[in-house]
Amino acid sequence: MDNFASLLHGFGVALTTYHIILMMVGVLLGILVGVLPGLGAPNGVSLLLPLTFTMDPVAAIILLTSMYWGALFGGSTTSILFNIPGEPSSVATTFDGYPMARQGQATQALTLAFLSAGFGALVGVILITVLSTWVAKFALRFSSPEYFAVYFLAFASFVGLGAASPFKTIVSMGLGFAFAAVGMDTVSGGLRLTFGFNELLSGISFLIAVIGLFGIGELMITMEEGLRFDGIRARVKVRDVLKTIATLPRYWVTLLRSAAIGCWMGITPGGPTAASFMSYGLAKRLSRRKEGFGKGQPEGVVAPETADHAAGSSAILPMLALGVPGSATAAVMMGGLMIWGLNPGPMLFIERPDFVWGLIASMYLGNIVAVLMVLATIPLFASILRIPFAIIGPVIVVVCFIGAYTVAGRPFDLWLALAFGVVGYLFKKLDYPIAPLVLAMVLGDKAEDAFRQSMIMSRGSLSIFWSNGLVTTIMLIGLALALGPVLSTLFGRLTKPKASSAVA
Amino acid sequence: MISRYTAEIGTATLAAGLGLAAVIGALEFGIGWGDAGPESGAFPFYMGLLVVGASVGTLVQATVGRKGLQSVFLHKEEAVRVASFFLPMAAFVVVSLLLGLYVATAIYLAFVMWTQGKYRLVVSVASGIAAAVGFYLVLEFAFQVPILKGPLEAALGIY
Repeated sequence: MDNFASLLHGFGVALTTYHIILMMVGVLLGILVGVLPGLGAPNGVSLLLPLTFTMDPVAAIILLTSMYWGALFGGSTTSILFNIPGEPSSVATTFDGYPMARQGQATQALTLAFLSAGFGALVGVILITVLSTWVAKFALRFSSPEYFAVYFLAFASFVGLGAASPFKTIVSMGLGFAFAAVGMDTVSGGLRLTFGFNELLSGISFLIAVIGLFGIGELMITMEEGLRFDGIRARVKVRDVLKTIATLPRYWVTLLRSAAIGCWMGITPGGPTAASFMSYGLAKRLSRRKEGFGKGQPEGVVAPETADHAAGSSAILPMLALGVPGSATAAVMMGGLMIWGLNPGPMLFIERPDFVWGLIASMYLGNIVAVLMVLATIPLFASILRIPFAIIGPVIVVVCFIGAYTVAGRPFDLWLALAFGVVGYLFKKLDYPIAPLVLAMVLGDKAEDAFRQSMIMSRGSLSIFWSNGLVTTIMLIGLALALGPVLSTLFGRLTKPKASSAVA
Repeated sequence: MISRYTAEIGTATLAAGLGLAAVIGALEFGIGWGDAGPESGAFPFYMGLLVVGASVGTLVQATVGRKGLQSVFLHKEEAVRVASFFLPMAAFVVVSLLLGLYVATAIYLAFVMWTQGKYRLVVSVASGIAAAVGFYLVLEFAFQVPILKGPLEAALGIY
């Protein structure tokens, strides 16, 4: 058990007073951004990232991942108490969580949500512990073409598996790559796509994009819908919590199924949002009490929460082992690793085992800390939402713009953040997925390097992408994922020749 | 009132424009084969093409399915709410660039609290200043991150 020894070593790295304090701070900040509308996990991590540039990477990643757990928990809290999902991934939790709270079962709903979330996260972390070295070892065989194929696979699964129109997914992804290309070309060192603007010389930071797209865009949506917080007062009583804990084993089927869905969606870049909806849908379809769903069915809380957190934590696995993040937040964290001078991917396991295993160990601890802290602090955070939006709204705006400025200290970034805010608003309203754009911005240079190196290896022939079994397999899976929906509709048309051919 | 159809067409055109900009910008740097493999314009060129292509796809889809997209994208009262949020925010950016982020924060908070929160002017201004000072303490002392400052800070001798 190599991994187990490494993990113990990791606990040695992670278990210091300083790190535990960072975890608590991170979780608290995370709950805060999770609770506040307009600030979510990806955005919160982006805002905090520039402040960690000077920290030790292990401490910094512990702070950021703890914030991630906190944000996931905070998002569920507002879903249940206010019927307002603090995070897109906790939308599905509102379906049954809010009805439960209205029936006076707020404590039960919250406890179930947190515990199942903790369970999901734990399964995700165990998966990482068991699989990461294996995946990393496997990935050591990868060279440029294989890496490009893996990136291709990641984006293909967005196109094929996403709920949005494939055209819109491709637009979002392509724009991300185009934005990433602005500024210095990492291969030749020359400048490109700056269109004569000095401000664009150093490129467009993905952090600015995240702050604009997720933060400001989200706030504009919130404003447009007109904010009304009909909160339910929650006092968490220890007896109710304990009673609810006793009922948890009843939902073991839902828990296991949802954790499996979550892990799968987290490793493939489906992300927590898709995972929670899928898990809710399946729980409803397979339940014997279908009619109870939507009216306060406990399983309706357990299913999306477990999947959400399982996906959230397992999204770290491909980020660490392959350098391909499984969610928007993981993408931001991976960008952070690169800024700290670490290179995510299999070599990280060899070069910085203390970092990798410290991080994995901190994920176990961080989730336990998060569950305890969130149970203890709900009333406090719920009261934040009772502050009028005329105060909290502008404060969030200010935090976003200050965050945008701290990324590089460039005044021009304020305009960029505003522009990305408008784009985020339009994209959200028109169902363009945002995650592919963020992922493309983070991976842009790496994907391009992989492509260009492959081309150099093959002297310009695309055939290198099916030159050996490994790369061919990955490419074929990618193609199948991307074209799956198209092929199935095509076959549907062929069998029903009368249907009009709508799309040219 | 804007229909969903108009919004779809507008956004897709905007996206296609950005894609086209990438294509044109990339052509300047060569998209062929150079001394060190593909030239630096090649990757952005094809990504730009992809964006243009997919945007055209969205345009076609929207035009063909026009009947299904007649729903309202933005009601008048929604537009007013978004504008009442967006315009002060845009003004905040302009003021930040002129007077620095701290002064802009104080003005912006005070303005929104006063006009939209219906607080008394004194309370609003006091809260705005308090928030700016709070941000100052957290950023410059706790995190030691200097942010954009303007003439007021210079006059007070704060850097």
